[in-house]
Amino acid sequence: MADVTTGEQIVFWILAPVALGGAIGMVAARNAVHSALFLVCTMLSLGVFYVVQAGAFIGVVQVIVYTGAIMMLFLFVLMLVGRDASDSLIEVLRGQRMAAIVLGIGFAGLTATGLARGLGEVETEGLEAVNAVGNVPAIAAELFTHYVFAFEITSALLITAALGAMVLAHIERRKGERLTQRERSRARFAPGNYPAPKAGPGVFATSDSVATPALLPDRTIAERSLTDVVRIRELTAAEARPKGTDRR
Amino acid sequence: MEELHLPPIDYAAIAPLLLVFGAGCVGVLVEAFVPRAWRYRVQVPLLLAGLVAALIALISVADKRVSTAGGALAIDGPALFLQGGLVALGIVSVLLIAERRVERGGAFVAQASVVAGTDSDRRQSSQPGATEVYPLTAFALGGMMLFCAANDLVTMFVALEVFSLPLYLLCALARRRRLLSQEASVKYFLLGAFSSAFFLYGVALLYGFAGTMSFTGLREAAAEAGSEDTLLFLGIAMLSVGLLFKAAMVPFHVWTPDVYQGAPTPVTGMMAACTKLAAFGGILRVFTVGFADINLDWEPILIAVAIATMLVGAVMAVTQTDIKRLLAYSSIANAGYVFTGVLALSEEGVAGTMFYLVAYGFTVLAAFAVVTLVRDADGEATHLSRWAGLGRRSPLFAGLFTVLMLAFAGIPLTSGFTSKFAVFSAALGADQVTLVIVGLISSAVLAFPYLRVVVLMYLSEPAEDTPTVSLPGVFTSLALVIGLVATIGLGVVPGPVLELAEQASSFIG
Amino acid sequence: MSVNLAQETVSYAPAEGALSSFWLLIALPLVSAALLLLLGRRADRWGHFLGCLSVGVAFVLGLVYFFTLRGLEESSAELTLFSFMPVSELQVDVNLLYDPLSSVFVLLITGVGFLIHVYSIGYMAHDPGRRRFFAYLNLFVAAMLLLVLGGNYVMTFIGWEGVGLASYLLIAFWYDRPAAATAGKKAFLMNRVGDVGFLLAIFLMFATLGSVDFEDVFNGVPTLSEGTVLAIGLLLLLGACGKSGQFPLQAWLPDAMEGPTPVSALIHAATMVTAGVYLIARSHEIFSANETAQTVVVSVGAITLLIGCIIGCAKDDIKRVLAYSTVSQIGYMFLAVGLGGAAYALGIMHLLTHGFFKAGLFLGAGSVMHGMNDQTNIRRFGGLFRYMPITAVTFGLGYLAIIGIPPLAGYFSKDPIIAAAFARHGWTGWLFGGIALLGAGLTAFYMTRLFVLTFLGPKRWTEDITHPHESPATMTVPMILLAIGSVASGFLLSLGLVDYLTPSLGPETEVEHGPLSHLTVTLLTVGVSVIGAALAYLLFRRGTALEEQPARSPLVRAARANLYADTFNETVFELPGRLLTRALVYFDNRGIDGLVNGLAAGIGGGSSRLRRLQTGFVRSYALTILSGALVVTAALMAVTFGS
Repeated sequence: MADVTTGEQIVFWILAPVALGGAIGMVAARNAVHSALFLVCTMLSLGVFYVVQAGAFIGVVQVIVYTGAIMMLFLFVLMLVGRDASDSLIEVLRGQRMAAIVLGIGFAGLTATGLARGLGEVETEGLEAVNAVGNVPAIAAELFTHYVFAFEITSALLITAALGAMVLAHIERRKGERLTQRERSRARFAPGNYPAPKAGPGVFATSDSVATPALLPDRTIAERSLTDVVRIRELTAAEARPKGTDRR
Repeated sequence: MEELHLPPIDYAAIAPLLLVFGAGCVGVLVEAFVPRAWRYRVQVPLLLAGLVAALIALISVADKRVSTAGGALAIDGPALFLQGGLVALGIVSVLLIAERRVERGGAFVAQASVVAGTDSDRRQSSQPGATEVYPLTAFALGGMMLFCAANDLVTMFVALEVFSLPLYLLCALARRRRLLSQEASVKYFLLGAFSSAFFLYGVALLYGFAGTMSFTGLREAAAEAGSEDTLLFLGIAMLSVGLLFKAAMVPFHVWTPDVYQGAPTPVTGMMAACTKLAAFGGILRVFTVGFADINLDWEPILIAVAIATMLVGAVMAVTQTDIKRLLAYSSIANAGYVFTGVLALSEEGVAGTMFYLVAYGFTVLAAFAVVTLVRDADGEATHLSRWAGLGRRSPLFAGLFTVLMLAFAGIPLTSGFTSKFAVFSAALGADQVTLVIVGLISSAVLAFPYLRVVVLMYLSEPAEDTPTVSLPGVFTSLALVIGLVATIGLGVVPGPVLELAEQASSFIG
Repeated sequence: MSVNLAQETVSYAPAEGALSSFWLLIALPLVSAALLLLLGRRADRWGHFLGCLSVGVAFVLGLVYFFTLRGLEESSAELTLFSFMPVSELQVDVNLLYDPLSSVFVLLITGVGFLIHVYSIGYMAHDPGRRRFFAYLNLFVAAMLLLVLGGNYVMTFIGWEGVGLASYLLIAFWYDRPAAATAGKKAFLMNRVGDVGFLLAIFLMFATLGSVDFEDVFNGVPTLSEGTVLAIGLLLLLGACGKSGQFPLQAWLPDAMEGPTPVSALIHAATMVTAGVYLIARSHEIFSANETAQTVVVSVGAITLLIGCIIGCAKDDIKRVLAYSTVSQIGYMFLAVGLGGAAYALGIMHLLTHGFFKAGLFLGAGSVMHGMNDQTNIRRFGGLFRYMPITAVTFGLGYLAIIGIPPLAGYFSKDPIIAAAFARHGWTGWLFGGIALLGAGLTAFYMTRLFVLTFLGPKRWTEDITHPHESPATMTVPMILLAIGSVASGFLLSLGLVDYLTPSLGPETEVEHGPLSHLTVTLLTVGVSVIGAALAYLLFRRGTALEEQPARSPLVRAARANLYADTFNETVFELPGRLLTRALVYFDNRGIDGLVNGLAAGIGGGSSRLRRLQTGFVRSYALTILSGALVVTAALMAVTFGS
């Protein structure tokens, strides 16, 4: 690591634990939202690494696309679906977790040893030449000359992804099944339907319990204000008797 | 900064690729703009026309040996032969996918997003299947063709993803047993992503080693390095894991039985025939072009993988009770035989491997076509016990399946024999005696489950509930006939195709 | 093929011009068979016409090729279609050979085949499986043509197996009749015995000569040791015996008469059963090189011809009598090809004339059965001459031809064989000549018995038959044509066949004159035949008992029991076979099965254990993949670190 500046070293040693911790945290967290946020941590750290290593473009893309767009979409979806942690995290396969940890550490160790051996003596080479015209133009030059076919063919990947999303997630309704706005409005004002918002529970009531029905201006009970779960019934004499706290 | 120049692209050479991708894109537009009732009638001819046009284009450029698009694509002998095989097998797969007679509405669900088992799911049970499968198939086939021709690691990775993604989707679209199908898809996706990560890491390491992505550059760099360069070998290891996963080699095969069983049978057929072919096409190029000049101290691990694949596939097939799983394990063992040809690391081996892939593809497609026909009220009857006595019920199809099983078992005068002969003799030529011996043992073991099916069909009394063999529609019949003719034709007259494979067995670059 | 005596090399000229398309001969009926089988019921209405047409066109082509070949100097044409797997030492080409020998067979197969196809239109008119029948017939013709046109032993063997398959399918055509199904199986099994012999002969050739091409094998024969040549010859003979119903494998042929009569006529009289003769004639270079092999062939022929005659005298079933007569006539052919030299051509000549008259006789028998409610017992026929005149006349001509009355076909072909047998040196000449002569007399006897009991004498019909009728034109026309052939073919063939076949069968050697002059033999033969015929006429002209009478003489009893051939097979082959099987089963159960079962159980157990790894959980799959990746990486790291 001959020509690594001190600043870069400092950044690395601060962010590397963050990136690694984020990755481990993502796997270990029980809550899906926490997992996503841990992943954001890792990705942000990686973005900084890229920038530090003179890959400005890829660093920015990492931040904008991964953390900015993809992870935020993840979070949106998680929130919409509901962050319900009901999935059991108890491992039923005997030895699975232990084996996974051992193999994971073994693999990481092996790779790390290999990399350490392989990269221990390596000097950076050709970085200035590549970045001479600027990082973005250099990447553009590569993309549109050497890798133009791969670049173009990525469109097939995107089309497939879009098509896949449609196939797996979109429910088409026939004309008959789907209500138009006009039909909805008509149904709303049709006789027998109550077009206005329902009264909330507890309006004009002496209590703010959801079990207490709202009272209409004529002091009658608004049945609509109660959920179906709560049955309306008359209070018994004992219940209706003023209690000690009820002094007015 | 100087002006950028688009590298010269030999459009004639990549016309087959463009035609298949083009068919996929037009297919997507058809989905968007053509009324629902017409889509099936437009999509199927469109895709078939695209594939046939690609085949014609391939034949017309059969003599090309160029590296084009800035060296990203190598349109050489193996690429053209494998692309031809892919398109031909693709046409047969599409015939199976397009079948709508055997099951009302086809093998695919109308709307995959409807929750399985609900009322609306039952309501859609008789609706025609989703027509999005055709563009997806086109993209998958295009990706596979690209994978065989990719001449650098980036293009190869993009191609890998281009053909994998549609397959993940297609797996999830079975009409019957939808939960099983969706489970298969998720498994395939997760494990596929897992292996892609290995592949990508391998690419990064190899780039770190060579400073270039192209196979030729990689070879040149590797020729200078000794066997001590860690980056190179770490990269080779990672890349191999990704490739061996796609080829379903032990121990990276674990996804195969579940996915083959869960996926709609026509898609299973396509995976067994086309995906396997594409995966080995990539492996051939990587091993014979990219890693050609590297010292081979590490070859024993590949031999070990091949041996494990042949043995585990054969042994596991013995106790299977589901015909689709049986065929899945048989395809694993067959991957081992193919790998034997690859490990010969000679032009003879390349030719044998390519011949094997094409011959096996036709046979396995025909076998899965028969599987789609054996049905009862609940759809395909894949449990082997249900096949008992089928020979009495429908002698024609039982006979046909018997021929295919015999071909798998490698009986002379079927393509199974010729192709095994080709790869094993190539391996012998390269002094891989162990591999050949293990291959023969594995073939012997594997003959047992095949013959068990045959015995089951003929020597058992049909039960009351023995499923009937549905009358195949035009598409399936055509696929069956093509598969059978190829199986027997390549067994009796293998000469021309073998010769073609031999002529096409040298890579450029 | 040209035989150069100086160098004794055999070489075939490549096919050129019109002859380069002679593969069409095989392709036509094969395509037709495939179409008929694939199209299914859709072809029911016109399938039989297609079947006839394909064979008819093949016949016309055969004629064209025949005359083309006559105009050529090389008088052979070899066509290599493609090589089957051009890998290392296993060089088996798919090649065809058209030479004089093949050409006459082609004409016989397609010509007689075409007539029988036409006949079948009428014969099978009311059978629901007629299309299937024609498909099988076409398949048979294609396979038979491949057999005679094959350019190496492997091709011949494929055709050999093909005709075996077609024969099996056709014998068991009415598979709902148990007798037919059993007969089919019997034919199949006994043929297998012969086929094993043929196959071993091919292996032996490949092992010793490294090739199975006719050219290489024939040229290589002089380099082989005496014993090898004998072994190859005897193995080939075993194959020939199986296919041709020769001693000791003759028992399947009469049972094969359970098939439809056109099948009996085409396959079990005119063509397939003569394949053995073809094989020996084709391999004459091998047989001529070893005298012992030749003697065995002659003995087999002599024994068989006698067996066939004796049993033929005792049978009451019209088709079985004809079947045994076939057995005995093929015995004559074996006798001839075993004698070697010029007699090869005589054997082929008898084969051709026999093809005509025996096919005609079978078709006549079919016509009689057609008119008599499918009955076959000649004791219950009689006086049919008035009711079926065409059948009776054509049958009569065939009958006169087979017993060798001059100037009909049989006279020209059988007579020289008997003369050649007498010409064999030493006492063997007297023995084989005497047997052949005795056979001629017996043939005259049983054939006269057959003819008289069927067409002459008083009516002895069963009650249900009121008015037998002549058959339709599609059946009678082929019979008439075959009858013309039975009359004229002998004289025509005697004019030039022997010379024509010289390129295939070797140069004609001077026929030695035996102790008896040719004229004496001829007079003797005709005399013996006339005596046999007269005896039979006198015995049977007033009819015979309606039921089989208990036989007094042991010979009659033996003859009625097929000379105990089945019993013989049972005791000699089946019983030891069964004992051996039992012993093997015992050994198998204890020893091999133990091993195999142990192995199977081991594999099964291993499989079940491995199955436990296949949990269905994606995380455990990922773990497996990770462990694989770890192993691969570790191995590669070990390589780098190690170096």
